[in-house]
Amino acid sequence: MNTQANTEVQHYLDAMRGALSDLPAAEVGEIMDDAGAHVVEVAEEMGDEFTLAALIDRLGTPQAYAQELRAAAGYPPPAPAAPAGVRPMLLARYTLWSLVAGTLMAFAYAASGGDSQELTVLVGLCAAAGTLLVFRQKDLLAAVGRLPETVALRDVLRRAERSEPLRFLTPLRTFQPMWWVARALLIVAVGVLAYRLRSPIVLVIVTLAFLSMVAGPKSKTDRRWLWISLPSTGLAIGGLLLIFSSMTSWLFYERSAPVSYNTAPPSVPDNIYVFDKDGRPLTDVHLYDEDGRPLDSPWYGCNGRTARDDNRYPRPRVVHDENGCREIPGVPPFTIVIPGTDPAFTTTAPPATPSPQPSTTPSPQPSAAPPTTQSVPPTAVVPTS
Amino acid sequence: MDTSQLLKGVLDLAVLAVLRKEDGYGYDVLRRLRQGGLDGVGDASVYGTLRRLYNAGLLTSYVVPSEEGPHRKYYSLNEPGRARLLDSGKTWKSFAQALDDLLGEGA
Repeated sequence: MNTQANTEVQHYLDAMRGALSDLPAAEVGEIMDDAGAHVVEVAEEMGDEFTLAALIDRLGTPQAYAQELRAAAGYPPPAPAAPAGVRPMLLARYTLWSLVAGTLMAFAYAASGGDSQELTVLVGLCAAAGTLLVFRQKDLLAAVGRLPETVALRDVLRRAERSEPLRFLTPLRTFQPMWWVARALLIVAVGVLAYRLRSPIVLVIVTLAFLSMVAGPKSKTDRRWLWISLPSTGLAIGGLLLIFSSMTSWLFYERSAPVSYNTAPPSVPDNIYVFDKDGRPLTDVHLYDEDGRPLDSPWYGCNGRTARDDNRYPRPRVVHDENGCREIPGVPPFTIVIPGTDPAFTTTAPPATPSPQPSTTPSPQPSAAPPTTQSVPPTAVVPTS
Repeated sequence: MDTSQLLKGVLDLAVLAVLRKEDGYGYDVLRRLRQGGLDGVGDASVYGTLRRLYNAGLLTSYVVPSEEGPHRKYYSLNEPGRARLLDSGKTWKSFAQALDDLLGEGA
């Protein structure tokens, strides 16, 4: 083939590539390897009789060739070229960056084990809106593809794919279906975590697990599925990191078990009532241990768990009755009698350790009891409700 | 009758069939189809069909370097491809039989 013919074949191939440019770069590469070689071969067969007209006569115009190939391969039809106005540009930009943000957020959410709920929900909603947009609006994908940042990114990816250190990754494509399954399982694992945190995100995550299975094979030929598959991958890799890091800390914990025993936070009962020396209940008391660490405990109100644990006691009491659920602050459900109020008693009474032994008659005057400490409980607990 | 309309439905089966005995690259598959009597088959349709069957996991591919000209990508049937060929072949045979019966002596 002479130089002239070479240039014309190259033009033909370029036009063909252009008509396929909305497809994923890897797929276009495969097609051009295959069908492009065919065009070259046909041109070579023509030998001296080669003209561009003859080539087009034999194969059709490059656009028609691409069109026929698309139809046979089952690719989505090409998006009509839309005039690039300000609004499509903005929308395309939003769609692209919501994908980036959604992917990063999915990764961070999973890797942190479910931190910053509010931010995740917010970014998740933005990303979901972007995904809906790209699926609903036909021209949007093409507009995203024309964004300068997309073009630059695609260039970098293409160069990286061909570079020596990354070339070994190409054979790994065979294992892609396995990765799709693994990815769905990892997403489900993160979903279990979200479920245990009682987070509404669990619904989004379960949906994503299902969609990611579809997105795997689909995104090879239809780029819109990237809006599902990239966040899925982010979530899955984040989940993988979380599993690795918790495994490492578990191993570490096992080895340093005697030490970690001391650092475990001290446990406290569900509620604590404090009384002063006159038997009056104290409220808003903050408790600390000997190292100055707050004695935090979880508290479950009528709406489930409070936002954070704290060390302020007594906790409001949660009462379920015919009026529904009520939270009664501060007041203990019983009264007590402190024996120490009698001066005669203070010398003989043992340290005022509260005794659970209840007395049926409330006696505000412990001095009326015989002065033997054995026969009278030092503290009387009287249930009031 | 326009055979290109008929071809659309059975091109998958035809491509799988010509790859059954021997692996082949795109142009090769195209030639075998034409030699087999399917003259109307379009070049681009064959390449598109190969890509679709490959993406559906029915074919595997490997590249063979060639001294003159570009490298050639060969396609070969894998197990799911063979199963599909068997299944689609049965469907086709019963379909063709039914149509033959309908036509009777008239055609």
